[in-house]
Amino acid sequence: MITAGIDFGAKNVKVVILNDDKIVARGSALTGFDLKIAAKAASEMALKAAELKIEDIVHITETGIGQGSVDFAADSVSEVGANAKAGVKLLATARTIIDVGAEEARAVKCDETGSMKDFVVNERCAAGAGAFVEAMSRALEVELGQMGPMSLKATEAVPMNAQCTVFAESEVVSLIHNQTPKANIARAIHDAIAERVVSMVRRLGITEDVLLIGGLAYDVGFVDSMKHGLGVEVHVPEFPEYVSAYGAALVAQERVKE
Amino acid sequence: MTEMKYQTKPLDIWNEGKALRQQYYENYAKAHERGGIRWAGGAWAYSAVPSGLGDDVWSLTGEPYGASVAFNKEFAARCQEAIEAKGFARDLCAYLRNYLGSVVLDEYVFGGEFPKPDFMWTTHICCSHAKWYQIASDLEGGVPFFCIDVSTGLTEDFNERRRGYVVNQLLDGIDWLEKTTGRDYDDEKLIQAVYNECEATSLWAEICVLNKTIPAPLDEKTMYSLYVFGTLMKHRPEVVAFYRKLRDEVQDRVDTKIAAVGNEQRRVITDTQPPWGFLEVFRYLEKHGVVSVGSLYTFSLIGAWEVKEDGTWGPRTTPQQQGIDIKTRKQALEILADWTHARPEWQHFYSAHEKSDLMLRIVREWKVDGVMLHYNRGCEGLTLNIAENRLAFKEAGIPVLPFEGNMGDEREFDLERTKKAVDSFLELLGVK
Amino acid sequence: MFEKFKEWFTNRHDYAQAWKKRTGGKVLGYFCTYVPEELIIAADILPVRILGSHEAQDVTEPHIFGMFCPFCRDCLAQGLKGRYDYLNGVMIAQSCLHIRQTYNSWIKHIPQEFSFYLYMPHGVQTPHAYPYLRGELEVFKQALEKWIGRSISDKDIDRGIEVVNKNRQLMKKVYEYRKQENPPLTGLEAMYMVVSSQMVDKEEHNQALEEVLKELPNRKLDRNTGTRLMILGSEDDDTEFVKMVETLDSTLVVDDHCTGTRYFWNEVELQDDRLMAIAARYIDRPPCPSKDWPDRKRFPHILQLAKDYNVQGALVIQQKFCDPHELDMPALRQMLQENGIPTYFLEFDVTVPIGQFKTRVEAFLETFALPDLY
Repeated sequence: MITAGIDFGAKNVKVVILNDDKIVARGSALTGFDLKIAAKAASEMALKAAELKIEDIVHITETGIGQGSVDFAADSVSEVGANAKAGVKLLATARTIIDVGAEEARAVKCDETGSMKDFVVNERCAAGAGAFVEAMSRALEVELGQMGPMSLKATEAVPMNAQCTVFAESEVVSLIHNQTPKANIARAIHDAIAERVVSMVRRLGITEDVLLIGGLAYDVGFVDSMKHGLGVEVHVPEFPEYVSAYGAALVAQERVKE
Repeated sequence: MTEMKYQTKPLDIWNEGKALRQQYYENYAKAHERGGIRWAGGAWAYSAVPSGLGDDVWSLTGEPYGASVAFNKEFAARCQEAIEAKGFARDLCAYLRNYLGSVVLDEYVFGGEFPKPDFMWTTHICCSHAKWYQIASDLEGGVPFFCIDVSTGLTEDFNERRRGYVVNQLLDGIDWLEKTTGRDYDDEKLIQAVYNECEATSLWAEICVLNKTIPAPLDEKTMYSLYVFGTLMKHRPEVVAFYRKLRDEVQDRVDTKIAAVGNEQRRVITDTQPPWGFLEVFRYLEKHGVVSVGSLYTFSLIGAWEVKEDGTWGPRTTPQQQGIDIKTRKQALEILADWTHARPEWQHFYSAHEKSDLMLRIVREWKVDGVMLHYNRGCEGLTLNIAENRLAFKEAGIPVLPFEGNMGDEREFDLERTKKAVDSFLELLGVK
Repeated sequence: MFEKFKEWFTNRHDYAQAWKKRTGGKVLGYFCTYVPEELIIAADILPVRILGSHEAQDVTEPHIFGMFCPFCRDCLAQGLKGRYDYLNGVMIAQSCLHIRQTYNSWIKHIPQEFSFYLYMPHGVQTPHAYPYLRGELEVFKQALEKWIGRSISDKDIDRGIEVVNKNRQLMKKVYEYRKQENPPLTGLEAMYMVVSSQMVDKEEHNQALEEVLKELPNRKLDRNTGTRLMILGSEDDDTEFVKMVETLDSTLVVDDHCTGTRYFWNEVELQDDRLMAIAARYIDRPPCPSKDWPDRKRFPHILQLAKDYNVQGALVIQQKFCDPHELDMPALRQMLQENGIPTYFLEFDVTVPIGQFKTRVEAFLETFALPDLY
């Protein structure tokens, strides 16, 4: 049975197509201003890769910020619900799934069946994760993809305000003016975000195994900061930013069976 | 929309309540035209005390006024800008900013110029209370201001000595009222106001107790429009009359199984003031059969409670029910202080854990399935220790949803984000 | 000569642990300077003010909502991280709402032999506050007696009053030197002195102060005094910030902080009823804004300090989200400006962006160097 999940992120819309529980294709597009256009582009990309037509899909479940904005989705599931579902599928022992995207961070605690037990979402004041790294990479004149590897070369921990990105940003500017090595600044940025995320996850309590997903999970520097912050091993699946869409597609499978 | 299980209908008394509220704000605004006196102060002020100055003494309580401003988003935004332009921080109490902004603009949210009070009379338990009227007094050209310190600790610690501290301040306050207004003080009127206040606040608790019933005869969104009289004029005879009538109607709804929400499937409680401009969140819950049956806030911001013989929470026995005949000013003030300082919604100012226990009691007795905690950026006072309350629910295994917002400043409330969080909570409660 | 204070400040935990080992006594951590140290010392207990460490942390999020001040979270972080594990008890004297949460979370999550919440009144301008606080001090004294298993005599209390009063007198004498045209001590040194007094045995602190007072008359600093600044506002033990300001051709000559003058400015005036005497001292001290109503008594006090110390400008700082100070700030700044004292406002967090603050303070200081147009 073919189902699809569509995840509206702050930066990208992601689509995953499943045949039973096997992923057959992925697609993504910039979210932009018009969610419909983005959803269409991402879906077409996935359909093309899967060599399928939209009519072939039995059920589409959506998740993320734009729920209800496209007419071809049948129903919806929350991101944390989707993450719990997909997380356990990707790593059977996962109990805490942390999702760090462009703007939001969220975490969910689940059982072995992928059913949600508790969840947290970041406070508004602590918003801006991936987008912050991106903005700071511009300030440092470093390519976004280089932030992670550079951060791993840091020689010193530079304390930075972790609570608020506005404060953090001005601290980065101060560090640049002080001629702090770029690697140390990159590390400070990762540590600051990790600290905010770890703070939030502590509200749930940290139950192993921990799975880190979302776009920022691609950033090796951030992953390393998270490991230090949490004090436990952090697992990152392949294609971490597609996990919510994958979860939604799994929910779609269940809903058809119901 | 989930299936309708129960009959439902609006409250008969609704329009009467609406008129009563309107009358209150008009009485205050027009007091001078009618030769009366007007005063401003907090909803927790000892409002019965100025009653001794006469029957034509009308009050404007700041918090409900700030909430009324919040309902009018355009006006609220102008108030907030006006007070921020005076150098006040935007993370201050949202009611305070709405109220003071309204003073700065010299506009009454109900129309016309802001009606300046003759004096200010309030209490101080939260950091912002006395300072609010200190600033208001400045902005209004030095309106006389009297404030009573009520930070005497947990109810269980409220002994004769501590009561004496409060009563002595109230006695000084009465001298001050006479001097400030040039009127003679009538103890008989004070005594009547004390009886009224005790009855009104006990009646409110009685009404809340009826909500232990399944299906709940009242939903919290409706209760907000009803408890408000206790915050406006808890000492007035018209409030006593209104609550008696309301109690009878709610009892009737219980007897005939009339539900507030026809598809009631799950019962939740909330905490702290809601984001007033966004009560649609409650409708969103109701769509999925989730009804908020109240909160420690709606029950006891004003309601007077006691633990009954069977160990459950019920309305406090009034002095008149106990056959107490109040004879003197001092006795009236002592009774009023004892009554006031047993307020459940004051306990958390001293102990997070005391509040968690009270909320867990409500969860048990009101048969609650989950708790929604409004992390209210607009009110430090009631949001105090809220994270510890959350931990207590977690420990007790009760699903809990913290959601961030602001009771009076819409810039700090994100409806879509909140709905998303509510969706996850609904999944957790097994209704979505 | 101020190294001792700096050392105590920096190694506060080592000091307290060594004190405990040496004396076999108990250590009581406290929040807020309305705590009556006289009685704690009378019980032979070391009072230690719990302060933050100005490091980023990730442990308080489950306990305190982020809209409360960074200071209350920083303090709790120290407890949760085990840095105050040597404390035998904690207490608070009621002041602002924010710090109460630290106390509430602390007593729940960090094991203690003793905890106490002192119902310090807010209505410090009503005459009824004196007997009321006297009663609260009696309750506190009894709690202490129960804890230590012996009674606290008048003689004990006299000893407590004497040593704390002496500390206040000596610090005030040191502050006198800051009035000089070229003060022989910096604002940073003064901060180390006062804050360390909140951490160490007052007898020892007094000895160190006496040493300092012997040498101060002959001390000359190899630095320019520059613009004479006052610093006032919320709790402030941000030495990094103070150090930075004093590299900019300026000197902090006086303050109104609970880590400064508000802590030690007035003394206990002796009377037969010792508890009443102590109560009066705390009722009459320069108030925290949370208690400064209906009149604003703090304002004339601040203005007097500004005049006495020949202040040219004021840095008004505030812990982010500190409501009591936020509520005073507009009127306070206006009052100072009207009296010819320009002010500059800065909001503090656990750490501050020092580079950016430097630029801002520099700009503020430049306004003092502008030529007079008339």
